[in-house]
Amino acid sequence: MSENHLPTVDLDQKLSEQTPQEILAYALEQFDNIAISFSGAEDVVLIDMAYKIAPEKVQAFSLDTGRLHPETYRYIEKVREHYNINIDVVFPESEAVNNLVREKGLFSFYKDDHKECCSIRKIGPLRRKLLAVDAWITGQRRDQSPGTRAAIPVIQDDKAFARPGATLIKFNPLANWSSDQVWAYIRSNNVPYNELHDRGFVSIGCEPCTRPTGPGQHERVGRWWWEEATLKECGLHDVNISK
Amino acid sequence: MKITLVKKIKLDGSLCKKCEEVQQKLEATGQIDLIDEVLIADERDPSSQGMELASLFNVDRAPFFLVEREGEAPEIHTVYFKFVKDVLNQKTREEDELKEILNDNPDLDFL
Repeated sequence: MSENHLPTVDLDQKLSEQTPQEILAYALEQFDNIAISFSGAEDVVLIDMAYKIAPEKVQAFSLDTGRLHPETYRYIEKVREHYNINIDVVFPESEAVNNLVREKGLFSFYKDDHKECCSIRKIGPLRRKLLAVDAWITGQRRDQSPGTRAAIPVIQDDKAFARPGATLIKFNPLANWSSDQVWAYIRSNNVPYNELHDRGFVSIGCEPCTRPTGPGQHERVGRWWWEEATLKECGLHDVNISK
Repeated sequence: MKITLVKKIKLDGSLCKKCEEVQQKLEATGQIDLIDEVLIADERDPSSQGMELASLFNVDRAPFFLVEREGEAPEIHTVYFKFVKDVLNQKTREEDELKEILNDNPDLDFL
């Protein structure tokens, strides 16, 4: 179990001023048992950056919900071969998926909302994976969703997925980057990317819940477009917590 | 072992929705009897006991549980169903726990 109690609030202020590469270098130096979450989309830049910093330490994982585009499966394989790294593909519990499909069918998210399906197909396997690491790295950015990602820190103490009695640190090195910066990096470094991006897909998730977006549309429009954006209510406002 | 529940009063003076739901679950299951102290994090008052605890333990959501055991570092639990399973040693349904995590962390669906 990790005994690494980092002062994440202070570190967030310091790391927020640094580049994604510097943040990644810090993360990889601090932790040996650390994994990059790779969705099969533009978060590939994290793998490219980490590979250039410490190739021997690159551990990545992907959540295979069973509903990804065939292009995404091909792309995950392409990244694995390109960098010659292991990508741990993790799956949902078959019994939980069976129960959901038996009870509600294959497209229940269009009638209810996507959360039940996502919790079974994404959050379950994610939690199992994170029980085995001391820290993880995501490609989450503030500009991806003004509603749910506006306050994403660069480093955080992940209490939701930590093992009992242990600490789990989550790094979001791209938090302060824009989509344009990510794509400038991909192009200037010849990073392989998912072919769906060439067909208008900005954000890529499961096939039934992702669609291309038009020019000028926010990428969130391409995900769960039949639902209204919801705002998180139970956060304790930083302005009041900070002293 | 001492268990403290911290609930949030929002800026408009009302109790946060999840705090209400958790309170109802604790009462319906009798788990409320296992809670030693209930504190309020009043967003209108940064010096309220709950706000001070949140600041001390770097907690950014409510409700949360502070678990103190003699000779051990204090634990913070922000996921109700995980708290029930890990601390109260009571059975929970995994799907309830996973859904709660996603509801509390809506940014995760983008992974």
